[in-house]
Amino acid sequence: MSGRTAVPTFLARVPAGLARVPGVALVLIVLCAGFGVASAGFATPTNIANILVQSTILLLLALPMTLIIMTEGLDLSMGAVLTFASIVFAVSVIATGSFALALLAALGAGLAFGLVNGLLVSVLDIPPFIATLGTLGIAQGLSLLVTDGQSVVGIPRWIDGIYSGRIAGIPLPIVVAAFAYAVTHVLLYRTRFGTYIFALGGNREALKIAGISVRGMLIKVYLFGGLMAGFAALLMTARLNSAHPTAGIGMEFDAIAAVAVGGTSFERGNGWLFGTLLGVLAVGVLRNGLNLLAVPSSAQVASIGALVIVALFIDGLRSEP
Amino acid sequence: MSAEGVPGPPLFELRGISKHFPGVKALDDVSFEIRAGEVHMLVGENGAGKSTLMKVLCGAYRADRGAFFHRGEEVTIGEPLDARKFGIAVIFQEFTLVPYLDIAQNIFLGREIRGPLPGLVDQRGIHSAAKRVLDTIGFDIDPRIPVHRLGVAQQQMVEIAKALSQDARILVMDEPTAALSDRETELLFAMIARLKQNGVAIVYISHRLAEVFALGDRITVLRDGRKVGSVSPSETGPDQLVALMVGRSVDTTYARPARPQAGEVVLEVKDVGAPSGIADINLTVRAGEIVGLSGLVGSGRTEVARAIFGADRISAGEIRLFGERIDGSTQDSTRRGMALIPENRKSQGLALARSVGDNIVLAGLRRLFPTGIFLPRRAVQAARAVIDQLRIATPSVHRAVGTLSGGNQQKVVIGKWLNARARFFIFDEPTRGIDVGAKAEIFRLLDKLVHDGAAILMISSEQTEIVRVCDRAYVMRSGRIVGELARDQLTEANIVTLGMHR
Repeated sequence: MSGRTAVPTFLARVPAGLARVPGVALVLIVLCAGFGVASAGFATPTNIANILVQSTILLLLALPMTLIIMTEGLDLSMGAVLTFASIVFAVSVIATGSFALALLAALGAGLAFGLVNGLLVSVLDIPPFIATLGTLGIAQGLSLLVTDGQSVVGIPRWIDGIYSGRIAGIPLPIVVAAFAYAVTHVLLYRTRFGTYIFALGGNREALKIAGISVRGMLIKVYLFGGLMAGFAALLMTARLNSAHPTAGIGMEFDAIAAVAVGGTSFERGNGWLFGTLLGVLAVGVLRNGLNLLAVPSSAQVASIGALVIVALFIDGLRSEP
Repeated sequence: MSAEGVPGPPLFELRGISKHFPGVKALDDVSFEIRAGEVHMLVGENGAGKSTLMKVLCGAYRADRGAFFHRGEEVTIGEPLDARKFGIAVIFQEFTLVPYLDIAQNIFLGREIRGPLPGLVDQRGIHSAAKRVLDTIGFDIDPRIPVHRLGVAQQQMVEIAKALSQDARILVMDEPTAALSDRETELLFAMIARLKQNGVAIVYISHRLAEVFALGDRITVLRDGRKVGSVSPSETGPDQLVALMVGRSVDTTYARPARPQAGEVVLEVKDVGAPSGIADINLTVRAGEIVGLSGLVGSGRTEVARAIFGADRISAGEIRLFGERIDGSTQDSTRRGMALIPENRKSQGLALARSVGDNIVLAGLRRLFPTGIFLPRRAVQAARAVIDQLRIATPSVHRAVGTLSGGNQQKVVIGKWLNARARFFIFDEPTRGIDVGAKAEIFRLLDKLVHDGAAILMISSEQTEIVRVCDRAYVMRSGRIVGELARDQLTEANIVTLGMHR
């Protein structure tokens, strides 16, 4: 099973044509067409590559966010953990000069926060919204503390090659993001871990009866979120060629929006990974298009909010009998 | 196959089981045996100890005293894993299925077939394995369909397949037909017959006398935590069984008391059709009468109720309440004195965590507090009046509704609308999930309501109830009313003949 279109009964019941296309795909098509008409710079190969590259960091966050939301959870700390991991990476690479050590340190920072989130949610049974709101504050505070509110500069020049480099002509961030998507897809749809994620949100009792540790599963899901935030930190640091204590603020909002736009429900373990990919692209296209039209970033945030509502409204219209 | 026909020790046996909870003796020296290929009915009123006994059997509760024997050998059952070892599986009323996993993934949840790499699942492997399990129970369905697309009956089949795939030899079913239509019930019974032939033992908890006698090879009756008898259905009649259950001789047939002459027309439905699938609905209900709405599950009864109440839009015809046309909104209906008591009390009729008092005053807030300011004392006063009137068994007006028995919860729903001064009631399956004793009381309550001049439209799947309780009845089939039965024509046979699909 891979997403909703793979289900034969679904295809049989819904009439062919538009009704079969999920809301997020329609939104994406309309956005592309709209910006294509409104801005001459939009539909150029360079700009499209730009959109894809710029969407990679968000995708790295939105992938684990999909899994976490499918467990009826939430990770509000992701943006702040991304920031903190980015600072850890920058500081380590400056101190040691070793990429490997710095990457390990950044992933370690992400995993540490993932572990704390997982423990708070599973062992202490704190609602995910509250638990990760708490760790958001801690991660953000640590970032400010470590940097004294300043940017961390002076990282080696070659680091930005991670963001601007290419493999076989394909920008490196896209390779990383594609790999992450493939891994998450296999994880969700082909492994026991993924099966149990559906069960965590759909029927936790079933999981308990089957003898699976619900706590262990929850910890693993949030650990996955921390790990991916660590990888995203690598891309973000390379992109900015520095680390800044406010760089990742609000990224969790974009990630949650992309997941919601993509059609993943906040209840019953109803998730769709490919929808998240489309949702990330919709957010990316929207931001890029509005940038081209010189819309201020405050209005962009509002428009992403509107995007969520429109996409879900379209899905809601079609689920009517 | 009769119980006596199976030689040798029973497949599984519980001896002298006792279980205490703080302040309650839930089970007192209960013995119970299960034989291969036998359907063993477990009956008793709510609170008799049926569920506790089953939880002891499946290892969810640990017995204080007593012994277990598997094929004559003493064994211990302290946790669910022990029970599973002996092939005991329980089909709970609340299914243990994951909605967005497919049938095969659900059947093998936690026991996935390993794929080529660690952590990977052999999807093709579980699909073909699931197909084989489904074939053994004669359930022809594609195991790749996600469970959330299935109906209740199909989900139950998956649940049973799941148990069988774990080599269950003893299946415990807790009121399996509670949510099934007649046709689905037939399919379930056919499957149970098939399982019996394969030597599976079935412990079946039921409130429905008809199925107890239709299915059971043996019937064990519990009352107040004690076993009051194990009887054979061929040697016992329904009345005797009910007498065993309630410990006193109860008239199960609830003689319909004399009713006053029906008064003015309260509800008049003319040529109503709705997008929900009903058409040409004509019916009337007068003050002082109970009118039945019968038909198979899915024939459109609930849709008619929702259309009348204004919960669903109508596309044709008109509905008049007390002679005035109503505008099709629930606000308008309730303001004019209509009440709908839905089938699913828990999700639609009650705030379970709130107190009895809060629930009762909920629908009459505007009448009780015209200024908009909530006065706790007045609320409690109003609630107490209703509690007394309906004789709701609750220790206090402040007790959470969820802790009351099914029958008393139903009374709270009715009380809520009494408090709102409703004069026309629609009851959708008023006795679902309620035990025999409480049923009779609910019927007396309906009777009292019409005596006081209310009018009632009652939906029920159980024809016997319609016949016993109603003055007249309409029968539905495929979204239309196919007949009206006056009092002297109101028999089960007539209802069934009219309602059956042709």
